[in-house]
Amino acid sequence: MATTQLGGGPGAVALGAPRQLPSGRRLDRERFQWGSLTLLTPALVLLVLLFLIPVGYAFYLGLTNLRLIGPTALHWHFTGLTNVRKLGSDTLFPKSVLLTAVFVGGSVIGTVVVGLTAAMLMRTASGIVRILAGGIVIVAFMMPAVSAGMTWYAASTAGGTFATLLGSSGTDLLHSNPLLIVTAANTWSQTGFAMLVFAAALRTIPVEVIEAAALENASPVQRFRMVILPLLRPTIVTVVLLVTLLSLANFGLVYIMTQGGPNDATNILPVYSYTQAFSFNNLAYGVLIGDVMVIIATILAAGYVWAARRRT
Amino acid sequence: MTALGIAEAAAPQLPPSGKRVPEAARARRRLGTGLLALVGILFALPLLWMLAASFDSQASWTIEWPHFTWANFQTATGSTYLHSLWNSFVLSGVATLISTAASTPAAYALSRRRIPWKGPLLLIVLFLSGVPMSILVVPVFQMFADNNLLSIIPTAVFLGVTTMPFEIWLIKNFIDGIPYDLEEAARIERANTTQILLRVVGPLALPGIGAAAIYGFVQAWGNFIVPLVLITNPNQQPGPIAIFGFIGAAHVQYGAIAAFSLLYSIPVFLLYAIMSRLFAGGFTLGGALKG
Repeated sequence: MATTQLGGGPGAVALGAPRQLPSGRRLDRERFQWGSLTLLTPALVLLVLLFLIPVGYAFYLGLTNLRLIGPTALHWHFTGLTNVRKLGSDTLFPKSVLLTAVFVGGSVIGTVVVGLTAAMLMRTASGIVRILAGGIVIVAFMMPAVSAGMTWYAASTAGGTFATLLGSSGTDLLHSNPLLIVTAANTWSQTGFAMLVFAAALRTIPVEVIEAAALENASPVQRFRMVILPLLRPTIVTVVLLVTLLSLANFGLVYIMTQGGPNDATNILPVYSYTQAFSFNNLAYGVLIGDVMVIIATILAAGYVWAARRRT
Repeated sequence: MTALGIAEAAAPQLPPSGKRVPEAARARRRLGTGLLALVGILFALPLLWMLAASFDSQASWTIEWPHFTWANFQTATGSTYLHSLWNSFVLSGVATLISTAASTPAAYALSRRRIPWKGPLLLIVLFLSGVPMSILVVPVFQMFADNNLLSIIPTAVFLGVTTMPFEIWLIKNFIDGIPYDLEEAARIERANTTQILLRVVGPLALPGIGAAAIYGFVQAWGNFIVPLVLITNPNQQPGPIAIFGFIGAAHVQYGAIAAFSLLYSIPVFLLYAIMSRLFAGGFTLGGALKG
């Protein structure tokens, strides 16, 4: 499939073609080789044992009365839909879903816009600035969540860099605009990823295509909107999905900065799930909130697959 | 597309430097440089505190010009913190080794071989790569506790497995972008699968495998819920937990927190620098882009 998609020379298409044929008994078609099993087994065993089974187990545990401590820590049992009913009447839960949507949506928009802008600028910017600026964006991306959370906390709290630069060093920005700051921090830490992927994608666009557009007197803006952007569309879709999933999983950064506060203003689903499980000892309820995240992530991933299928 | 074609596509497309660059292009270049510098400055702002406080003998959460000292780094490289750094290396190293070693052959098979139910299999891998890790911690805690596995190596294996779906996806998409002709040529020369993996696909997919390994290492290095919950022995706890110990202390040493946070980031940066030098021109995630 890849061979033809690459749109290489005619030879590539001809060689790749037998694998593309519709199913049916044909001799020129590759058949299952038992060697493939050897290649797949280590990954399959590990994934089933330490990933699929725990996910399934999580859906079961969500429907029990398991607690971290106390009598039901050891002698827990299945309680049916009790936890689900509790979730239905939990006023904090819909708020948490909304906060998560804003956090993830804001991060995705910020990451794609800044990442693509940086990648485009990297093409034309001159040497030293390109290396320094690109380096800092990548440093932000590679930095462990603990370090990033710590320095963002300091930068946005009272007397921090942002407040001082804004001329009111006494303001605690993390307290007055918690969701905005946390979203900005997450965008900051993931832009490098988007930039790397976009930069690589931009390199795969043939020079001839852009030169042809330039010969047709297309302005730089037109070249970007009508040539580069359509060619980047699949990459953008991929980056949107990945940043969504990475943001949903980025528990550490938010937890270090705010622990979900103040007044639940940044209590996004991963944080809510964790605090229910480990601060309020409600393991089962925390797991159930986590299950909701898995369902949301699955719907998003399915939407992505659907979008990718429709494209081809 | 030939290997040469890929190499050409991977090469950066800078306008040829010299006097023949038209005035408009030069102005655009200057504008681009200025804007990029602005992006860089904005991204550097949050880091200022970490740099200033780690050299400040009177550090606090506020940003100020440091009263220069090395003492914070001496505190942050004391034996307990070095020990937690070593634990981080063991944890992340084992996790990366396991995930990359298992993901690469699987990714190759998923890219090249005819496998029954390949579609559903890939969908499951995609699904798993989106599962937030925090929900796995509780069930895995229960499983590990039942089998006396609450220690550093099983935790490292688990951390490795959590990054595998994405690594498989990344490497598979990368191998998809490698022309099949090369393998067929090798097969005509009677190369077996091991040779093809090690001599043909391996080297060509190295940027993809390297990117996947970096991803695995960074994830394990920065994670802290997993070691916090799954490692019961305090002597086996990695760096992030040590940083938390700093904050939880009765007398908070801001300077040492900043210094240790800085030190803890360095291995990741070094690794990235080494990798990007190995594959000059940055990572060509070309194959990973088609989705």
